[in-house]
Amino acid sequence: MDMPIDANTRFAIGQPVSRKEDPVLLRGEGRYSDDLSLPGQAYAVVVRSRYAHGELRGIDAAEALAMPGVLAVITAADLDAAGIGPMQAVVGKHRDGTATPKPHQTALARDRVRYVGDPVALVVAETRELAKDAAEAVMLDIDPLPSVTEAREAADPGAPQLHAEAPGNLVLDFHYGDTEAVNAAFAKAAHVTKLDLRNSRVVVAPMEPRSALATIEDGRLVLRVGCQGVFGLRGTLSSVMNVPKEEIRVLTGNVGGSFGMKAGVYPEYIVLLQAARMLGRPVKWTDARSDSFMSDSHGRDHDFLGELALDSDGTFLAVRLTGFGNLGAYLSNATTIPSTMNTVKNVIGVYRTPLVEVASINVFTNTTPVGAYRGAGRPEGNYYMERLVDTAAKEMGIDRVELRRRNHIQPDQMPYRSPSEMVYDSGDFPALLEDALGAADWDGFASRKAESRRRGKLRGIGIGHYLEVTAPAGKEMGGIIFDEDGGVTIVTGTLDYGQGHASPFAQVLSDRLGVPFDKVRLVQGDSDRLLAGGGTGGSRSMMQSGAAIVEASALVVDKGRALAADALEAAEADIEFSTGRFNVVGTDRAIGIMDLAGRFPGQLNVEHVTEGVPSAFPNGCHVCEVEVDEETGVVAVVRYTMANDFGVLVNPMLVEGQTHGGVVQGIGQALLERTSYDSDGQLLSGSFMDYTLPQAIHAPGFVFVSHPVPARTNALGAKGCGEAGCAGSLPAVMNALADALGKHISMPATPERVWEVMKAA
Amino acid sequence: MQDVILGTSVELPQAVMQSVSLNLTVNGQQREFVVEPWTTLLDLLRHEMDLTGTKKGCDHGQCGACTVLIDGRRMNSCLALAVMQDGKTVTTVEGLAAPDGTLSPIQAAFIEHDAFQCGYCTPGQLCSATALLQEGHAHTPEEIRELMSGNLCRCGAYPNIVDAITQVLAQAATPEVA
Repeated sequence: MDMPIDANTRFAIGQPVSRKEDPVLLRGEGRYSDDLSLPGQAYAVVVRSRYAHGELRGIDAAEALAMPGVLAVITAADLDAAGIGPMQAVVGKHRDGTATPKPHQTALARDRVRYVGDPVALVVAETRELAKDAAEAVMLDIDPLPSVTEAREAADPGAPQLHAEAPGNLVLDFHYGDTEAVNAAFAKAAHVTKLDLRNSRVVVAPMEPRSALATIEDGRLVLRVGCQGVFGLRGTLSSVMNVPKEEIRVLTGNVGGSFGMKAGVYPEYIVLLQAARMLGRPVKWTDARSDSFMSDSHGRDHDFLGELALDSDGTFLAVRLTGFGNLGAYLSNATTIPSTMNTVKNVIGVYRTPLVEVASINVFTNTTPVGAYRGAGRPEGNYYMERLVDTAAKEMGIDRVELRRRNHIQPDQMPYRSPSEMVYDSGDFPALLEDALGAADWDGFASRKAESRRRGKLRGIGIGHYLEVTAPAGKEMGGIIFDEDGGVTIVTGTLDYGQGHASPFAQVLSDRLGVPFDKVRLVQGDSDRLLAGGGTGGSRSMMQSGAAIVEASALVVDKGRALAADALEAAEADIEFSTGRFNVVGTDRAIGIMDLAGRFPGQLNVEHVTEGVPSAFPNGCHVCEVEVDEETGVVAVVRYTMANDFGVLVNPMLVEGQTHGGVVQGIGQALLERTSYDSDGQLLSGSFMDYTLPQAIHAPGFVFVSHPVPARTNALGAKGCGEAGCAGSLPAVMNALADALGKHISMPATPERVWEVMKAA
Repeated sequence: MQDVILGTSVELPQAVMQSVSLNLTVNGQQREFVVEPWTTLLDLLRHEMDLTGTKKGCDHGQCGACTVLIDGRRMNSCLALAVMQDGKTVTTVEGLAAPDGTLSPIQAAFIEHDAFQCGYCTPGQLCSATALLQEGHAHTPEEIRELMSGNLCRCGAYPNIVDAITQVLAQAATPEVA
């Protein structure tokens, strides 16, 4: 029954294997949350605040409750009565060591609403349409209060205050670095570059709106929901609902994109479970897109003064960022990570800057809570540094490529300890730069610029030379189950929402155990099957689940040796394992692993939990060329090249697709996506007509060069690739645009803003 | 401060609203439906026929995830009222493959070119691309990009989608050997 190992070479590590789920998704047979229905299910619609800030005086649901088919209107009082606790979010300590505030965040607003979209009540009815109509009949008695949407303004002493527990709207007064040493470096610098750098707020907008189906099964709370990891979600639900973990099950099928946004427990999930409990029947909810714009956590929204100190020959002496992080009205899944430690870690990049200082005031505002978005501080840090480098080069009259070369961390400096206390294990940054410049025909730019000029277009070229610090080590499950039907199931707690984990994980298992690729399945979205699971995020999946599978495979081999010794009537010490077979050393007696599994049902199975492997340092260089239409201010990306070091590529085809996605999202943030609130805190960009998502016309073909330098900190040598596209593209696009315009411009560089900048010349 | 009232009280009309019957041929099967007049084709497909392959991304005709073929033309099914489609032929993503299950050329090209990630916009992309290939207006990658711009993909698979369509276009343009 064992397949010859040769048949597996096309599924070996490094092969561009298509995804196991592809045919299912292409036939429309995927099962996303809203595709699920259960007999007898009721439908829920959320009643949200239409005010950015206000005292909630009362909720009059009498009329709604009297409407036909309406089953319940759930409010904060119902949650309190059911013993449901506050939403969980922890921050830590301020720079002075004092504890940060812990505002009481409830799933439904109790006495105050704090942003447009703040959930206040859940209406449940027999049909969607009835629930929708009834939601419109729920009357909210709200006394409006003054609101504030910008972080800088929220930090002002006279600003409207959101949470009594957080005076000054302050969530975290963050500081990293040796101020004295950094000040000294700036004092002795021959040149200091200063730049106001805004990393603009984005609406995450995966194509699948959030949706969930709550039910009670065998007395347990069951939530079917699109997320980034069922294990963590169950844990949070357990603490908020005050229910033991064993009494909750979270199930996730296909997920239609997330990018960080679906990672957390949202208020709707809590209330839906409570609704199912109260009504004794399944309750389903799917967000309308217009609600998604305000109820899904947003991304980015940081404002920094960036400063780079250089000596007279351009050597970097210190980098300093001082600014603000806008967290929205409540703490979300990512809390303060992007504008604090992830900025510290990622602003260093590929350069030998000896000192770093980051100070950020992180505040509440009357806006949608800000969470993780592709990179969660990684693209931001790289953007700040790369804009500073280009600006310094221009100010000092040093070629921007040459300035980068002078400051590179060299391969022979590995392992390199950065001033953010990260230890880079590997990387060849000078080579990556040259790869990208070569592939992009950097030297031929002048003639392309002249050609654009003849067509009346301004052309610019820019570099985004990035390095990301992926998520740190974290527990992850590696379960390997030999099923009775001859299949092999991997059980792990990362969860793909489009990355396509099933094939590359199967490639790893096939490599380690020689089991046939086609027989390998993946279980990732059932909390009952998991002993641990860190979920997907921070580009961690291949490193952490990969490590879990590799370690579990070794345990399978250990067990297999003993069983094979039994089967082959030999001493265990004489059994060796190679390419899927257990052999008795020096004989032709052998048994394949699949045969062995069949002979000893269940006995080869392993349920392992790894402690995880350290952060990896994917890096590379993007080169972008843009054309600016002087008449309209429209910017087009016309050439795009990238060289990337993701370590060992388990599946190069999927890696390339991931980087495409990151680059497209970076182009979107840089040039198109403008999240806009008016002075009353109303979200103006609340639909795809008002908020420009990148379209096919915005993405030219991308040239992708791979230059793997294997990571030394995990067995696979992988570095993670999911977020790197954003980290390279934000600076590459903005540097190209600044080059075209001859001056700095803030993102998003929408046509209107570009036109204004050109007019101001 | 006066009370702030959200929404208005309305008499629900559905109890008296006339339901409408219509005939549709969906993926080769003719069926009669009785629907409320406000039912969109998208909701009919998803809720009445359990053809959940067609996706609701925005319900406002702004994202293209719900694109289906109506009498061979691509349409946002969220903007098409079911009652207006009486007698028409509808093809959804579930109907693109041959009856024996063989994937259509554009479906196969999507696999070959890794033209999708989360897969949520994919049914719309596939239907849109199928119609685009038949329309005959797109001849270059630039034209494909322009004529596929009604279908959003947040995963950013656009370059590979364009490559997949380009390949099928080239195959179609190659004269078959007799």
